[in-house]
Amino acid sequence: MENMANKVARIPNLVDWSTGEVRLMSAKCNSCGTYFFPKEHYQHRPGCSREGVEDVLLPTRGKLASYTIQYYPCPAPFKTEKKITPYGIGLVEFADEKIQITGIITETDLKTLKIGMEMETTLLEMYTNEEKQQVVTWAFKAV
Amino acid sequence: MRDVYIIGTGIHPWMGFSEQVFADFAAVAVDGALKDADIEWQKIQAIMAGIFIYGGNAGHLSGQYLESIFGETGIPVVNVYNACATGSASIRMAYNSIAAGETDTALAFGADVSPKGFLTAKSDNAVQDRDVIRWKMGGLPNPIYWALECRKRMEKYDTTEEDLALVKVLMSEYGSKNAHARFKKTYSLEEVLNSVYVCDPLRLYEICPVSTGAAAVIVTADKELIAKADNPVKINATTMGSAMYGDPTIRISALSCPSVAEAPMLSESYSASRQAYEKAGIGPEDIDLLELPDNSSWHYLVYLETCGFCGEGEADKMLRDGLTKIGGKLPVNPSGGFSSHGEALSAQALWQVIECSNQLRGRCGERQVEGAKVAMAQTYGLMGNSGTTILSV
Repeated sequence: MENMANKVARIPNLVDWSTGEVRLMSAKCNSCGTYFFPKEHYQHRPGCSREGVEDVLLPTRGKLASYTIQYYPCPAPFKTEKKITPYGIGLVEFADEKIQITGIITETDLKTLKIGMEMETTLLEMYTNEEKQQVVTWAFKAV
Repeated sequence: MRDVYIIGTGIHPWMGFSEQVFADFAAVAVDGALKDADIEWQKIQAIMAGIFIYGGNAGHLSGQYLESIFGETGIPVVNVYNACATGSASIRMAYNSIAAGETDTALAFGADVSPKGFLTAKSDNAVQDRDVIRWKMGGLPNPIYWALECRKRMEKYDTTEEDLALVKVLMSEYGSKNAHARFKKTYSLEEVLNSVYVCDPLRLYEICPVSTGAAAVIVTADKELIAKADNPVKINATTMGSAMYGDPTIRISALSCPSVAEAPMLSESYSASRQAYEKAGIGPEDIDLLELPDNSSWHYLVYLETCGFCGEGEADKMLRDGLTKIGGKLPVNPSGGFSSHGEALSAQALWQVIECSNQLRGRCGERQVEGAKVAMAQTYGLMGNSGTTILSV
């Protein structure tokens, strides 16, 4: 992607694009095998020793498990420079990790959304900050 | 454990945003409950108060503020928050205090003035509070969560847009007959189906807004007070449940959920209802009417399944066959539900209990469920909070 250096996440530690690929930042518990997103959203299996939690990046691609189309602007503190409504919100499944993650759907004809379609993690440019950086969030697009 | 009865209830009617002081709404509800029970304030031996989260220090100590209005008597006052199941927590604490013999008569109340618009994040700490992430990064108001689950349901079962609209048609018919309801207009199927999408597949009339309201319940084991009460209502069980590991539901404020189910959907409500059935020795087949949390039309359907009134994917048929109408096998939300009231966080679970209680006391006029002897109130709260109350006469 172009200009990756001039982007900053609105909230850190959720999405990584340092390798050139956009990937969600998860954590895995090596004791109970559960993946968490965000990393601090612990969801251990009851009785788990909670030992060996490590940071992991999720795969770039998953499948659309559900979606909705949002017709009114999301209220503050959500903020985008350009009007994005109506926008899709997807629940994308990373099958091996047994986790589904929500995200805004970009660059997609909303009429073509279908459960089961392949999706790729991407970035949504929300607005430009005072340092002239593009403030971004994670998002998904149809492959 | 002693038998515990509801002897008095009071409601401040549900309405939109108000500049009035929340404790004044609470006082209206509590006054109503005292008059209904025909007792003096000094008979109240404990207050279990639902807190008003947007009310700052006053709201967080709502029990103390209420007590100061009616006169301070030195009794235990406990303030509790369990999101939309706050009222369930307050009545459960009142019940437990009395059943265990700590007190004879207690008051549970909640009063809430919802802010204008949406209920958004209450902190700015993204590490501790996922609400911050979902609002700043996710673009995820509450109804999106319901829409994502609704779409899954429509893909998995044969739930149709007509089913979702039919829920509103029924709720509006009952709400129009309820003096406490905020919305009293009735809607036809066409009108609901022609309303705009908020988050497809959910339309404007298929989700509930935020509201203002207050509710109060007086419970007792005092034999004299029970004897003089107008149709006292027995509490057979009042329970709280939390979520279970592996629940596949995408929970409000979460950014993720498990993709492989190892627990039932809405497991907090599954848990609360099963605890109540076991404690009461009463099962779904014994319930004459049900008040469930229809935050959206999806909730109306899924709650019938979660609470065991039918199998998974069978609720649509119950609805279409008229089984959930007043006069049907299991009247659901004869009050008009959240659809006709909107959410008033700390008060809504108590209002559901009061509707059940009023039905059992034969006070519901045009929307009365004839011959109702056993009723159940079921709540749903943010982040895995739920309560079930089973009542009988």
